[in-house]
Amino acid sequence: MIQAKDLSKTFKDKKRGTVKAVDGISFECKAGEIFGLLGPNGAGKTTTLRMLSTSLKPTSGTAMINGVDVAEEPEKVRGQIGFLSGNTGLYGRLTAREMVTYFGKLYGMSASDIKLRIDKLFSMLDMQEFADGRNEKLSSGMKQKVSIARSVIHDPPIMVFDEPTTGLDVMSSRTIVQFIRKCRDDGKCVIFSTHIMSEATRLCDRIAIIHKGKIFADGAVDEILSRTGVDNLEDAFIKIVGE
Amino acid sequence: MRIRTVETIFKKEMTDTLRDRRTLIFMLAVPIAAIPLLLIVISNLMTGQIEKEMERTSMVLVQGMEFLPDDLRGDLNGAESFTIEPDANSDLNDMIERVKSGEVDALMVVPRSFDKAIALESPTEIEIFYDEAEIRSGFAVDRLDSILASFRKATISARLQQHEISEDVIKPFDITSRNVASMKKVAGETLGAMLPYLIIIMCFMGAMYPAIDLAAGEKERGTLETLLVSPASRGEFVVGKYLVILSTGTVAALLSMVSLTFSLNYMASGIMKFTGEILSIDFDLATVILVFMIVLPLAGIFSAILLSVSIFARSFKEAQSYITALNMFIILPAFVSLLPGVELDYKIALIPVVNVSMIIKEAVSGSVQWNYVIATFVSTNVLAAALLYLAKKWFERESVLFRM
Ligand SMILES: Nc1ncnc2c1ncn2[C@@H]1O[C@H](COP(=O)(O)OP(=O)(O)O)[C@@H](O)[C@H]1O
Ligand SMILES: [Mg+2]
Repeated sequence: MIQAKDLSKTFKDKKRGTVKAVDGISFECKAGEIFGLLGPNGAGKTTTLRMLSTSLKPTSGTAMINGVDVAEEPEKVRGQIGFLSGNTGLYGRLTAREMVTYFGKLYGMSASDIKLRIDKLFSMLDMQEFADGRNEKLSSGMKQKVSIARSVIHDPPIMVFDEPTTGLDVMSSRTIVQFIRKCRDDGKCVIFSTHIMSEATRLCDRIAIIHKGKIFADGAVDEILSRTGVDNLEDAFIKIVGE
Repeated sequence: MRIRTVETIFKKEMTDTLRDRRTLIFMLAVPIAAIPLLLIVISNLMTGQIEKEMERTSMVLVQGMEFLPDDLRGDLNGAESFTIEPDANSDLNDMIERVKSGEVDALMVVPRSFDKAIALESPTEIEIFYDEAEIRSGFAVDRLDSILASFRKATISARLQQHEISEDVIKPFDITSRNVASMKKVAGETLGAMLPYLIIIMCFMGAMYPAIDLAAGEKERGTLETLLVSPASRGEFVVGKYLVILSTGTVAALLSMVSLTFSLNYMASGIMKFTGEILSIDFDLATVILVFMIVLPLAGIFSAILLSVSIFARSFKEAQSYITALNMFIILPAFVSLLPGVELDYKIALIPVVNVSMIIKEAVSGSVQWNYVIATFVSTNVLAAALLYLAKKWFERESVLFRM
């Protein structure tokens, strides 16, 4: 469902000059699987995911999302994607219901569809209790649930998670991890970035090791381990990247 | 651009904004209550001060009291509003020092043989020393003046009679100047000059917080990215957000127009009860509509600029500091309406902010010149539209949205 071909992105930075954040990467991600982008800070994970979700335009290369080119029909691509990152926040002065409804409308859903979907999501996530209080009053775990509901209000076939557990406590992390698994089980195509090796091992069906904007290896976790002849991803990473 | 989507964005942002305490303060509380309250307090302090000074008896030091003609001395001593302190011995400089230090309100110096000079009809002079910077000193001079003037008048009449000359001889003709300006215009020129300045500032302030919250706030909360991955276009977000900012700015401007009119009139009636004629601004619904029509595109200019500055900033704080700097560029041109002698012409009608300031001033003084209203209306709208277009382009730049 996702095919990235030779994707590249260069930024012009005042201090550092031109920065090749993503440098010709290609990968594929199918429905019903969790694909992980694993790499340290500054590897180019966020930039890659932003190109897939069309908030950044690729400098060169293409990506097809469910058969649609991100550069040619970005609006069409956006409707197919659900997006959640560790830094996405909420509108504090709105209630969960108001906020999720707003996004439903932005995704062009009808009022009755939004209502049905909200009822389903809110009971699935156990949110009915706090759905009508202002977001700013919620605990971090509750906030996370609101973010989750927001990201899937339009029931997208593809989910993009950018370091979704960064900065979260154990309970909220667990909620997110369970949610990611559920997305896969529902047959969605899930792409997910992390710098935490153990998280990747635990969650991903396939991974790509990304460093300095390039993909160094990809495949199932077991494959990568057997190819490098070590027993954990950390060592595999060092070996592959060669530092 | 889909109207439905813009409407969705507008409604959400409006709800959100109207729940923001800071916005409500600048959009409602400051224009309706704070500014008028400030003006009323200042005015009460001022009139209270003037009243106090008027009730006070003036202390006047007189050198050469003994040289005053009897009736004049009698008038001075008899006047209730004076305490006269004759002083025959002190040095003139010491006496002037006492005026300077505020110990006495005025010093009157009567020359030696003043009474004889009056009797002999030879020229002579009374000097009064006072402190212009002190209201009470000014009052003392006014009071002395009126007593001396009536003595002078009586002396002239007596002399003319003695020489058997008709009073008409010294009055070859009268000069009468008649004011043709309506009271409305006079009020407009004075009080009305303050209105546009304050209305424009309030408009800017009313638009300021929503603009910060709706753009820089999205970055700070981490909600911007969730908007960017939704199918709504950047242009739709710009227009939806712009319309909210435009509304709060316009509401703040119109509310301040009404509440300021009341408080300026109150202030004027307080101060002017001492000078006789009471000025007041009053305008009809047509004036309010005219001001609305001209303030709306001005709010449009403000909104587009504020939105662009705000989305450029990386955080709420950063946006605030940019906008504080921007403030100057609004306050100075708005100030032009307060300058005497500035008249509208086609050049001024093309200068943003200044033109609106002048049109509001003319509108409240009832001397609208339609050609300039139209020129201002057109130029302000064109600029607002151009800035909105630029804001949209600005919102489409990755280097602005994802500024490192
Ligand atoms: N908007 C931007 N402007 C300039 N440089 C950027 C921008 N976004 C990312 N970068 C740079 O691109 C590189 C990759 O960043 P990023 O994709 O955020 O990495 P990751 O998400 O893997 O930590 C980094 O060197 C980063 O500094
Ligand atoms: Mg990142």
